[in-house]
Amino acid sequence: MTTRATRSPRRRTVVALAVILSILGVFIVRLVDIQVVSADEHVAQSLVYLGDKTTISGQRGSIVDADGTVLAESVTVYDWNMDPKAMNAVETDEDNPPKLPWAEASTKIAEIMGLNADELRAGVAAAREENPDTQWYQLAKGLNAKQYTDLKALKLPYLHADSRETRVYPNGAVAGSVIGFLDGSGTAQAGIEKMETQCLAPTNGEETYRKGTNGVVIPGSEQKTDAVDGGSVQLTINSDLNWYLQQMIAEEAQAQGAQGGTVTVVEVKTGKIRAAAEWPTVDPNNLNGSSPSSWYSKLFTYAFEPGSTFKPVTAAAIMENAGVTPTSPTVSASSKEHFPNGAVINDAFAHPTYNYTLAGALIDSSNVALSKFGTMVSPDVRYDYLQRFGVGTKTVGFPSETSGELHPTSEWDNQSLYTTTFGQHFTVTAPQVAGAYQAIANGGEKIDLSLIESCTDADGTVHKAADPEKKQIIKPETAAELTRMLENVAVQGGNAERIKVPGYRVTSKTGTAQIPDGNGGYKSGVYYTSMVGFAPVDDPQYVVIVTLDQPTRITSSAATASAFQKAMTQVMKTYRVMPSTVPMDALLPKFE
Amino acid sequence: MSLNATARKPLVTPAAPARAPRPRLTPLPKTAARRKPKLAYALTALGGALAIGAAQIGLSLAITQDSYTLASLSSQQRTLDLQTSALQEELTGLSSPQALATSASALGMVVAGAPSYLRLSDGAVFGTGTGAGWASTVDPNGAGAVSNSLLVPPASADANDGPVADDAATQTEQLPPAITDGLPSPETH
Repeated sequence: MTTRATRSPRRRTVVALAVILSILGVFIVRLVDIQVVSADEHVAQSLVYLGDKTTISGQRGSIVDADGTVLAESVTVYDWNMDPKAMNAVETDEDNPPKLPWAEASTKIAEIMGLNADELRAGVAAAREENPDTQWYQLAKGLNAKQYTDLKALKLPYLHADSRETRVYPNGAVAGSVIGFLDGSGTAQAGIEKMETQCLAPTNGEETYRKGTNGVVIPGSEQKTDAVDGGSVQLTINSDLNWYLQQMIAEEAQAQGAQGGTVTVVEVKTGKIRAAAEWPTVDPNNLNGSSPSSWYSKLFTYAFEPGSTFKPVTAAAIMENAGVTPTSPTVSASSKEHFPNGAVINDAFAHPTYNYTLAGALIDSSNVALSKFGTMVSPDVRYDYLQRFGVGTKTVGFPSETSGELHPTSEWDNQSLYTTTFGQHFTVTAPQVAGAYQAIANGGEKIDLSLIESCTDADGTVHKAADPEKKQIIKPETAAELTRMLENVAVQGGNAERIKVPGYRVTSKTGTAQIPDGNGGYKSGVYYTSMVGFAPVDDPQYVVIVTLDQPTRITSSAATASAFQKAMTQVMKTYRVMPSTVPMDALLPKFE
Repeated sequence: MSLNATARKPLVTPAAPARAPRPRLTPLPKTAARRKPKLAYALTALGGALAIGAAQIGLSLAITQDSYTLASLSSQQRTLDLQTSALQEELTGLSSPQALATSASALGMVVAGAPSYLRLSDGAVFGTGTGAGWASTVDPNGAGAVSNSLLVPPASADANDGPVADDAATQTEQLPPAITDGLPSPETH
């Protein structure tokens, strides 16, 4: 059957088939390669030309105070511009004359935008003269929603608005330097805005789509991821109290001719900072209204030698480690003494040699007596107590917060061996001092300070701030005796009359710190003065610390007395603290 | 071919089954007369088709209508949102403690010192036991005023804001001179 004649055409068929099949095979391989193997790559390549996306921006969260009063929020504002060429076209359209001719429209626009109508018309005319084809003329920036509605109601086709988000601080400078501010691009620069960026910042969403010729969006190709607005941060601050204290410290600081002043209020039972007032400060709505040096909070960033406000810490160390009580033993101290190691210690006022009790040494704030008491325990013990009371530890993690400086005992020289007993040779911030007194007021239990109450997500989930660390740093009995001595300081001390808060038993301690002059020495005649205390003594609720930077009318810490009295009075009033009902114990003797 | 044909000749099997073969084919009983197609079915089918069509048109009309309603509602929502923000913006600043303190001071109110408390159970008074003094502990209009740039143009911004500022001015004039400086005393010569 397979003759030569029939074999030839069949072979040809087979060959042709083989060729066709192999070509087909090549195509199939290529097809699989394109459609399956490197499909993703090709899709990605095509999307460069076809796909597009727009970012949907979320709104930054608010900052509210302890009562929910808004201290910072984001609002939408509108930047308006117009198209002069389109305006001209509308104006010169004879078939269809404009309902609102430019002469009239410009007056209305100017009225709504708060511009001068003549200047507006002249500006547009000038822009057209310069370039008749110009399609952009800036009218006004940052207009609000009411102006937006009014301008839209004019129905002018040549007006355009671009919306953008801006930050508004409804209470102005109240806690301004604590809240902080954003820069022009919306990046946090200072304060809570910076510290809580993680909570406040929104997550932008995006919309992706494919587009055909001329950029027409292909229906059904849109994919939208919604933006998630930023969370809202609640502070522990009471903005009304903060306002009063800012107002008060501004008046007091100016009355005393000081460079600045601060007031910090801490709740004894929780360690929450209820007020952080400063002068000078900043209105974050209007940065240019204050000098750049006051844009940033100094409360947490300025460390000073506390001076006498840290004498109670020395007292705590010796009471717990050398068996000293408020009334015995006594030390003899004159107003200036040379110590065996060559150190010379002075008291702030001249006095004869007294046999001071520990209480008396605190009441008269005798540096000499404290030096003698303090050296009853080793420097290491005192170093330990300074550390326990929070020296050298940051408080709330505020941006650029300083931890202060606590030199190790090996670096204490002959002089600082003694000066460290009365608050020199180490530095602290005002909140650190408040933290130390919180521990005394709270029966020896130190609770870490806090400034943030919670962060509430856009969906309403509340994230409470982590519980502050609590630590019993001194015995409750020691704290009680310190409190008693500090009340005696308030009652028997030099400022007794000026710091009386009617109805309340208060404690107080002054501090006068020398200020480095930047050349290794100290400025002469001016001090960084402070006064710290808590009330009411029978059930301590709030710690208040007032500082004044270089008061000149009264240069000593007495300058802070009036501010301290007003601050404490207002704090008691704000929180409806019941006046003291338990009378004070017998006065402690100063001398023997 | 002939050989094959012969070979396939059916063989008669002598041992056929005993059972009588059943006839394979039986005549049909009388065939049913073909019925006339009922008009009702046609109408039902047609009606159904029309109903489906109508429903589809109705639905798409409803969807279209809804999308218009949606558009109009979202535009209404936008307008209301704008109004809300406009109203909120009006409140911004006015709600601040500075604004409150300034207005209160214009009415002659003072920030008093220490408070007093009355215990209802026994009528005991705690605290100072006196009323507020004439002097305010702070002066919200003084040099220590806490700034708020949102409050800066109160009179010029809007005509509606006028009365408040005017009231403030006249009130201050009517009040005893310099209330923050203590109790006014008559001038004697």
